[in-house]
Amino acid sequence: MKLTYVNFVVLAVILASGIFTFWGAQNDKTIQLFVGVATAVAYVLWGMIYHALEGDLHVKVVIEYSLVGAIAIILLLTILWT
Amino acid sequence: MQHFLRHFFLPHHSNNHRAKALHIDSLLCYVLLFAILNLSIKIIHRDFPSVLGYATDIRVDALLASTNAKRISLGLNPLKLNATLSQAAAAKAQDMFSHDYWAHNSPQGKTPWSFIVNSGYKYTIAGENLAKNFSTSGGVVDAWMASPTHKDNIVKPGYQDIGFAIVNGVLNGEETTLVVQMFGAGGSPIAEVPKVETVIPEVAIAVEEPQKLVQGVGSSVFKPIFNIPTVTRDITFMFIGLIVGVLVLDGIVISRKKIVRVAGHNIAHILFFLTFFVALTMVQRGALL
Repeated sequence: MKLTYVNFVVLAVILASGIFTFWGAQNDKTIQLFVGVATAVAYVLWGMIYHALEGDLHVKVVIEYSLVGAIAIILLLTILWT
Repeated sequence: MQHFLRHFFLPHHSNNHRAKALHIDSLLCYVLLFAILNLSIKIIHRDFPSVLGYATDIRVDALLASTNAKRISLGLNPLKLNATLSQAAAAKAQDMFSHDYWAHNSPQGKTPWSFIVNSGYKYTIAGENLAKNFSTSGGVVDAWMASPTHKDNIVKPGYQDIGFAIVNGVLNGEETTLVVQMFGAGGSPIAEVPKVETVIPEVAIAVEEPQKLVQGVGSSVFKPIFNIPTVTRDITFMFIGLIVGVLVLDGIVISRKKIVRVAGHNIAHILFFLTFFVALTMVQRGALL
């Protein structure tokens, strides 16, 4: 339970850092895209570490996190570059 | 229909206790669908810009009225539209498109003041505000007023004249509506511009080449049937709402039924998508300089 709490605090820090940096990069779409990709990659890594610590890391879970990250990136591309 | 909805949106034995909308193959479909959407938008916009395009309604008379309204509200004199300053603004806009830059000073070292001097306007003080990719005149002026350095230009008491250029083109590979606003007051040269060091205009004049002027810089009015930024935002935000909704439903059902399964953490996914939702609301098409 304590481990889960710590993991979610780490996730909150990752996501909050992503939002804050994204906000700071207003007027520069390239940096915003970079921040979005970095946040998505950090999320996928967080997911893998979280499930490894929980003892239920499976290739299906890795693919799921990777696809969730990919969806976020393509949504970002849709808004930024169209 | 009911079975399909339950299968797609709720965890059930028919979908191995994970809403089908959250299965790996579904997630992959979303990525592909958005890739196709992006490609389709670009193709349709290229071939049928009047159907799917970027809506703009930016006019010099509206920019002038809005700028003067801000000045008058602060007890300042209204500025007079000056054709020579507008020529300088048009030359600056043309130079930005020709040399593909988004800056007050060109990569070749041309300053805003060189365009003003080459146009024949003699000034004691001068300033320049730039904006790109806004959709309305009011949006441009409001954004300038919200930026302290640009606002300083708009509400500077010493200015007497103003010139505008509104030009469409491609800048850094992106379809762009550029607005150049130039301020001035007659006399000997001293210049001001947001975030740009003041230069000595006489030096710039000595190395300056004549500028080509552009035509049709009085307005940019275009109303496609579908506005691309509106379409993409609506689709994206609806999708995020839908996926978060399914994650919430899936999580509630699984938690109540105490089903153990191998899958990603719903709360983590929800937080992640909400983070991107917030980030995407921050994206602004319009930019200032």
